[in-house]
Amino acid sequence: MTKTTDTTPTTTPPTSGLDRRTFLRGVGLGAGAAGAVAALTVAAGPAAAAEAVTAPADKDGYRETAHVRRYYDLARF
Amino acid sequence: MKPVAADRQIADEDLMRAQFYALLSRLLVSPPEGDVLDDLAGLTGDDTDIGQALAALGEAARATDAAAVEAEFNALFIGLTRGEIVPYASYYLTGFLHEKPLAELRDDLAALGIERAPGHCQPEDHFGFLCEVQCGLILGTYGPPDLAVQKTFFDKHISPWADALFADIEAAPSAVLYRPVAMIGRLFTAVERDAFAMAGDLPKRDLPKP
Repeated sequence: MTKTTDTTPTTTPPTSGLDRRTFLRGVGLGAGAAGAVAALTVAAGPAAAAEAVTAPADKDGYRETAHVRRYYDLARF
Repeated sequence: MKPVAADRQIADEDLMRAQFYALLSRLLVSPPEGDVLDDLAGLTGDDTDIGQALAALGEAARATDAAAVEAEFNALFIGLTRGEIVPYASYYLTGFLHEKPLAELRDDLAALGIERAPGHCQPEDHFGFLCEVQCGLILGTYGPPDLAVQKTFFDKHISPWADALFADIEAAPSAVLYRPVAMIGRLFTAVERDAFAMAGDLPKRDLPKP
């Protein structure tokens, strides 16, 4: 079920996490590259196809997907 | 996606990981429209491998337009009967859609309290969906972030077929803008794999039970 707790994480990172963090900084996720990605994804955001469960959604029924839109486009004559 | 809780401290490295997942998710689920394409066109990179791939993506974005990208996306992922790429775990791991990998993923998503947003009917084992879930796990969208859960999710649902998927996209006849996207995906997945290996003493964590 949805966990909506606002508590800060209680688990401390394992000691080897330091190596991992150093590694992640060194491979190019940091520095200029990630700055650019940061600027980008703030604007873009993820695809928003997933969400935390709040209420049972009706999963049946009509959905206008890319496939369906593509069909409509092709059927337009 | 819900915003990150303001009082939750996410390390810079983890924010960067989340941003790469968000980028892959955004571009694999639908083609970038005007604003997003403009942002992509502004991408530059440093001299690391990933930086070079980001720079290549920026260059490709500057050389195309929204209509061309949408046509490319449709040829790659939609197609008339099917696209050149079928970016679903079940398809890559079993050869068919809606197979056991999807069933196992749905169990794990239910345990994590995640489901498809309304208006999306594609199976959840779409690579873009998996990236969005992992992004949310890093940012704490679905509960306090836990690296062990991220590692389990990555090892089980992303890592086994990511390399094959990105190799196929890079080699796909219609891929232009999506070639550097696939390069970024391949390089970033390798980084994630190595980084998780360095955090080797993580508790072997089953995904939480509902």
